[in-house]
Amino acid sequence: MLSLQHVSKYYQVGGLKNFVLNNLSLEVDEGEFISIMGPSGSGKSSLLNIIGMLDEPSEGYHYFVSQAVHQLKERQRSALYKQYIGFVFQAYHLIDELTVAENIETPLIYQDYKGAERKAMVADMLDRFSIVGKKDLFPAQLSGGQQQLVGIARALIAKPKLLLADEPTGNLNSKQGEEIMELFRKLNKEDGVTIIQVTHSEKNAEYGSRIINLLDGRIESSKQL
Amino acid sequence: MIRNYFKIALRNLWKHKAFSIINITGLSIGITACFFIFMYVSFELSYDNFHTKADRIYRLVTDIKTPTETINTGVTAWPFAPNIKNDFPEVESFVRISGSSLLVRHGDIKFQEEKSAFADSTFFKVFDFKLLKGDPKTALSAPASVVFTESTAKKYFGNANPIGQTVLVTGDAVPAIVTGLMKDMPENSQIKADMLVSMSSLTQKFNKGLDNQWGNFGATSYLLLKPGANPKTLEAKFPGFIENHNGKERKASQMFYTFFLEPMTSVYLHSKRDGSGASGSITNVYVFGIVAVFILLIACINFVNLTTARSVERAKEVGIRKVVGAEKGQLARQFIGESVVLCLIAFILTILFSVLLLPLFNQLAGKIISPGIFSNWYYVLILLVTSVVIGLVAGIYPALVLSSFKPVVVLKGRFSGGNKGNLLRKTLVISQFTISIALIIGTIIVYTQMDFMQNRDLGFSKDQMLILDTNGDPAADALKQAIATLPGVKSTANSSSIPGGGNPGAYSEIENKKGDLQIANLDLYFVDYDYVNQFKIKMVAGRAFSREFGTDTAQAMLLNEAAIKMFGYSSPQQAIGRRFRQWGREGKIVGVMKDFHFRSLQENIKPLSMRIELKQLGLISVKVSSQNLTATIAAIENKWKVLIPNRPFSYYFLDEFFDRQYRTEQRFGKLFFNFAVLAILISCLGLLGLASYSTLQRTREIGIRKVLGATVPGIVNMLSKDFLILVVLSFVIATPVSWFFMHKWLQDFAYRIDISWWIFALAGILAIVIALATISFQAIKAAMSNPVKSLRSE
Repeated sequence: MLSLQHVSKYYQVGGLKNFVLNNLSLEVDEGEFISIMGPSGSGKSSLLNIIGMLDEPSEGYHYFVSQAVHQLKERQRSALYKQYIGFVFQAYHLIDELTVAENIETPLIYQDYKGAERKAMVADMLDRFSIVGKKDLFPAQLSGGQQQLVGIARALIAKPKLLLADEPTGNLNSKQGEEIMELFRKLNKEDGVTIIQVTHSEKNAEYGSRIINLLDGRIESSKQL
Repeated sequence: MIRNYFKIALRNLWKHKAFSIINITGLSIGITACFFIFMYVSFELSYDNFHTKADRIYRLVTDIKTPTETINTGVTAWPFAPNIKNDFPEVESFVRISGSSLLVRHGDIKFQEEKSAFADSTFFKVFDFKLLKGDPKTALSAPASVVFTESTAKKYFGNANPIGQTVLVTGDAVPAIVTGLMKDMPENSQIKADMLVSMSSLTQKFNKGLDNQWGNFGATSYLLLKPGANPKTLEAKFPGFIENHNGKERKASQMFYTFFLEPMTSVYLHSKRDGSGASGSITNVYVFGIVAVFILLIACINFVNLTTARSVERAKEVGIRKVVGAEKGQLARQFIGESVVLCLIAFILTILFSVLLLPLFNQLAGKIISPGIFSNWYYVLILLVTSVVIGLVAGIYPALVLSSFKPVVVLKGRFSGGNKGNLLRKTLVISQFTISIALIIGTIIVYTQMDFMQNRDLGFSKDQMLILDTNGDPAADALKQAIATLPGVKSTANSSSIPGGGNPGAYSEIENKKGDLQIANLDLYFVDYDYVNQFKIKMVAGRAFSREFGTDTAQAMLLNEAAIKMFGYSSPQQAIGRRFRQWGREGKIVGVMKDFHFRSLQENIKPLSMRIELKQLGLISVKVSSQNLTATIAAIENKWKVLIPNRPFSYYFLDEFFDRQYRTEQRFGKLFFNFAVLAILISCLGLLGLASYSTLQRTREIGIRKVLGATVPGIVNMLSKDFLILVVLSFVIATPVSWFFMHKWLQDFAYRIDISWWIFALAGILAIVIALATISFQAIKAAMSNPVKSLRSE
């Protein structure tokens, strides 16, 4: 599904190159559930951002659904991204001024769905995540776990093929974390969504089908479960 | 999508109430101020546009060249216009108007109609004043015909039909027939009268021979040219015209005329000539236009500043939206949309402000600029369009800044916003305060000049001086005698003119230093024996008029210093005993008066002559004691009623009368002051918003500093310093700019203040104090806050 070849990411600090990712290559197949692990500063989030096209590598090649992302223009990349990728964050990143339903609806607005269609899709998603009763609440009125649920619902509403999650359970207690992980597993198994998550937790990492360990911007080890 | 944006916009506004209030209020005040100025300016520009033939109507004006000076006057002598019409086929018609103050009586009802005018019968043909009743062709034809405006007619006839009624006009009670009823003249007309009397009344009845007096200036003449006629070509033919008709007399009198044609529509704003009509000032129109642009600019700058300052808070939203698929363009549109929504709310508020403040503004402007903002629907439309345009323009920059945030950056932990846009924000604050400080300096200078004019020693006494205007009633002298004996009256004098009022200019011949009789146009006061004493006018040579010299009534003249300088005398003594010839009288100069300001301080003191005349002196000046003033005035009124029963009692105080000359300047000053206050207010609102956001951003820094031992004053100082530097910089820029413009403004005054350093110092200190007060509130709040709280939230 996606392929990174000899990707590096570095920042120029006083004439020195400060590498965040160093000549890293990675292949991801459709239907995989990958957990990326590693200590702070090992490049986990940077890798995820590059995969998610939020950031560009300094060097290397990036292919996604057989398109050369590194050659695409901003607009084409954005279109590709909109169609295929959903993002989940550690800090949820919901829009505070919008209700639960409106937050979930937002991606559809940017993909030019009609109003009625959007309503139906949102209702469907609320139902699926059992948060119908909360649809008119604002993020501040929800618990962390509930907010993350909304965040995932939002990431999934446009039916992405790839779900990227940056420490999705980092701000949650263990019980909430487990629920989210169960949800991920179900999405992966039943809906065939490819998932790449960054995590610090061994336990959460084991929900995946492959664990990649990063150290100093390189893949230190890769373990198929 | 739009609904979503709209929702977000409103919720955002609601969530940050303080910010929204500052932003919207600032903008509304700015737009309101601008709107008022716009109405004022368009009103000033609308003068006389209502005449359908305005593009063909010209005012005939004259330059009179005497051996000593050139007089630019807006009036003409009576024979000019009719003869021009006769001689030149391109002139379709003419109207002469001569303003007057007439006593009008109908039964027991009597008024002194101060705004009366004699007008030719063509008045309603040339102009578009609306005659409601009567025949526009003949209403002003026959002698002793009168046309009233509606509100004037009401005073005499109530709601009854006035047509065909007889009224008695002037002190001689000449019966006149009401031949027309016209609508009140519009506010934006240079010609304003409450009552018109046929010109033939003047030329054939009251002042026969006027039509042949080529040297008697007093009629404002308008020419209606035929379509396509070129005024320049016509102007070029005038020298030949005057040579043909009046050449010999001109040469003999050494007074030469040059005629010019002023387009009717440019008279009000552009003509500097005195005339009978209302006059405005194109400079003021420009000044206010610039002020309006400035205020709008300040308000927009606030808007841009506050919005970009808040971008840190919106950054997260931008990041999220981009992550879920928003494109830059879509986000930019959203933010521009929000700014338009904000401006629409400001628009509603502006409407509210305008409705509430309009009466006040009309009062300030001294005329009905607009009876109501909804009376012109397109005003509201302009306002709406302006608001939307402001929203679009002011929204573009913040929208571009916001929509270009990179999600990776803004979603990763703390986003500081960095120093990007800081320079711009500072520049904008500096421009705001430069404008504000310049306006403060302008205001102080305008007010200092006003104060200077009102308190300067004018060279005559105007305090406790009551002026009774008998309008030339024959009984004036008797009334003066009667009043002189009243308790509370210190002294009295009669005259034809008083300082600050009008006076005739007389064709005079005065012996100059070389011993020749030199021709000049001298301002002339007719006075009685007591006048010089009454007004405490100082004599620098010779003597004042005296009853001891029986010949004074016929053969004596006083001149002022300006006059003897004009005739070449180096000391006033030399002028004593020299010959004069003026208006049929001959005699000697008996005294020289010290110059006194008989006109406003805008003008240099002109050469003035005074002569004794014991009859027909309409103005009685009464020096009264300040005690029992009411009783004194009542006693005077009683005497008036006995001696001049036909005229309504009319009096005023000289000091107020004199100061009335500065009404335009005072109004200008007041308007200027108000707009300066507004500019400062809006700037401070912006500063307040900016300061509060900047302190918010530095909460963490303040917390850390406090933990490390910083004191509250130290932190307040740190936070205030950044902004104060900007204000000081603004001051440095504003000073020379405002000096330049105010120096120019002052050139209109012959007697003016020097722009001294304290004015700038005062303005600077004022701006700093205001800015400091604005900032320190926020700074102190931030400095006093508990560091534990601000650090914990990280």
